[in-house]
Amino acid sequence: MPRAAQRRLHVLRRPKLRQSWSKYNLYNLWRQRDPKIGFTDHETFFQQKWRAKGLLRAYHGEHIKERDWERMFSRRLLSVANMNPQYMAQNDGSEMAAGRGSGRDIVSKWKDDRVDPKPITPYMNMAFAPMERRLDIAVFRAMFASSARQARHFVVHGKVKVNGKVMHFPAYKLNPGDMFQVDPDAVMFATGQPKKKGGSNARQAVTNPQANAEAEPAAEEAEGAEAEAEAAKAAEASEVPEQDPETTDKPEAPKADMKPTRQAIQKLTKQAKSILARDRDVSTSQKQNLRSFLKRAKPLLSKAGRPTATPTDILDELNSMVKELNLSDAPAEAAATEAPSTPEQAVAAAARQEPPRSIEDLNADELKALQRLIKEEEENPADPTKPYHTPWKPRDYMSPFAFIPRYLEVNQNVCSAVYLRHPVARVNSAEVPTPFGYQVNQLAFNWYLRRR
Amino acid sequence: MPPRIPTKSSASSASALWTRTIGANYRQPKPEGGPNYLQAFGAGPNKPFPLNPQFRSERVLDEQARELIWEKVMRRGETLKAVSAELGVDLTRVAAVVRLKEVEKDWISKGKKLATPYSKAVLGMLPTKSFRPGVQNQPLEPINELHIHTATQKQLFWPTAESRQFTREDAAKAFHAKMLSADKRVPHPELIQMEKDLLKGMSPDEARARFIKAAEQSERKAAEKQQRKAMAEEQATKKVNTPRFEFRFKEVDSELVGKDGRAPNVVGWKYGMPHYDRKKGLVKIPTSVP
Repeated sequence: MPRAAQRRLHVLRRPKLRQSWSKYNLYNLWRQRDPKIGFTDHETFFQQKWRAKGLLRAYHGEHIKERDWERMFSRRLLSVANMNPQYMAQNDGSEMAAGRGSGRDIVSKWKDDRVDPKPITPYMNMAFAPMERRLDIAVFRAMFASSARQARHFVVHGKVKVNGKVMHFPAYKLNPGDMFQVDPDAVMFATGQPKKKGGSNARQAVTNPQANAEAEPAAEEAEGAEAEAEAAKAAEASEVPEQDPETTDKPEAPKADMKPTRQAIQKLTKQAKSILARDRDVSTSQKQNLRSFLKRAKPLLSKAGRPTATPTDILDELNSMVKELNLSDAPAEAAATEAPSTPEQAVAAAARQEPPRSIEDLNADELKALQRLIKEEEENPADPTKPYHTPWKPRDYMSPFAFIPRYLEVNQNVCSAVYLRHPVARVNSAEVPTPFGYQVNQLAFNWYLRRR
Repeated sequence: MPPRIPTKSSASSASALWTRTIGANYRQPKPEGGPNYLQAFGAGPNKPFPLNPQFRSERVLDEQARELIWEKVMRRGETLKAVSAELGVDLTRVAAVVRLKEVEKDWISKGKKLATPYSKAVLGMLPTKSFRPGVQNQPLEPINELHIHTATQKQLFWPTAESRQFTREDAAKAFHAKMLSADKRVPHPELIQMEKDLLKGMSPDEARARFIKAAEQSERKAAEKQQRKAMAEEQATKKVNTPRFEFRFKEVDSELVGKDGRAPNVVGWKYGMPHYDRKKGLVKIPTSVP
């Protein structure tokens, strides 16, 4: 998005709440006070409705034309009642004939200090429920995009499939039972830390979080736009034909006699990775060495799994690689001062102090920790080809926006979700995520009833 | 035009100050995991919008819970209804979890990379629910929810004798002649029957066995119905294969045009009804993807 448009979207002077995970939006959400519409008689009813719908339309699909939303709007508000099976078995409904025709009266305890009002079913909070059916909004609600506009971008650019078919209409209205899938690379890009210009700035980010926090928003957005373009390119490049399940070449199980060698390689790889992960204490050149080591260790690992491999060959190669690594000048003071509380730390500390040359250096706990580290590294590798910061980390200010409404069931592993049903209202809760309360929503609902 | 020198307004410096102080708490997810929503003005827990207390962030199933559901349905062959009733997970959600888990297993078998770091991070920010296998678990959500039918939302004046036992069945008939009673419209009518059995003094084990049998039967019935429908569709369609297309022909009675000759689903051109199919410039967004 262009800088000016971005600034208009998250304007600070007359703030509007948006469907976005921007930190400006979070700030606006934090400082938003109850608009108190209709509390005084300064405004006519028309003015109250006008202001309420303005507040809510700024949040609910501000990228959707008003005319389109008016066509989408429905005055039919869905709700459900919880039917307790035990109660239904005990009563056939005739108990509701008692009293004045809706069950025996519950006498309020007016003498109590505090009498809570009866919980209502907030039907009015469902005013924007039809909006939640839209594909772009659902993609945003499933946390696959950082804003509704970005979700729309993904849909338009063919990153979203509905029931296995590419759907490029953001206005497609999901039907109950529809499954939508978003390209995982796009999701990781949208929800991950942005890539810094000119290589990894990970060290700066770790040591000086303040510096990042105060960075100009425009710079971030410019990067975002560039990264977006990169994401598009990367996604195009990654369009490889899917492998047939029958012909999948899986790495063979290692032979029993090769096990120590394989373990040694895995162990060393893990050490390298653990050092990479705690990159504050390692110099850039050492990190580069480690990366190249990891790259070379991988084919060696598969070689060790082959029946033709001999342990001595592989060990020789491994030893030469370890020598090349030259980790010994890494600062050992930090490791000496902090007691290794977890096996991972112990491993990392050991690796920093002296590069282990033999296989049997580590105990069982450390080996296990190493295995876990390797697994983590395999799941979340440093990959400069990706359009987002790698290893992947969630973007800043994401957690206060993290919720998944009940009408969606999401599987984050495959970046897919099922739209289970339309959102509903229940006693004391409504499923439509809306930033304002009952009264504002009620006024907006009345606006769209078009009796003004 | 000379380049504009950017100056910081008081609004943006206030925003920067907030980012450094209060906002710093929301920059990263909580290290111990769990939700990290705005703590403002007495908003309760798990309420992402401080001004809307009626929207709560509900718990989601974690990896272990999803795996357990998939295991129960696909490996042990338990019915969706039985799993739903046992774990307190909505029936449609159980089906969706299994469907999504199947996609995940397919990806794993094909060697396609899962978005594991993303999944871990997101589940770490959400309130989650896990199940302990083999014991009675707290339910995730109410499972026996009745859709409020529009026909039941009107007020009725329906005089009946005081001596009459006016049940849910009668109430449904009063609203609409074809309406089923609430006992039949809920997602788990079998559960009500189970509770009735328990009230009659049946042993819990026996009642449970009967419930499982009833659930199996109802699912089989639904599957058979679906199959019959597909078969009927198949028989009504004549398929002609050409090298490029498969043409599908269906018999249509052009006389069935509704009361006024303009029923919405009928075939062909209708007098007085605009026909938008060929109109230029209209985007035709599909209404369903089969």
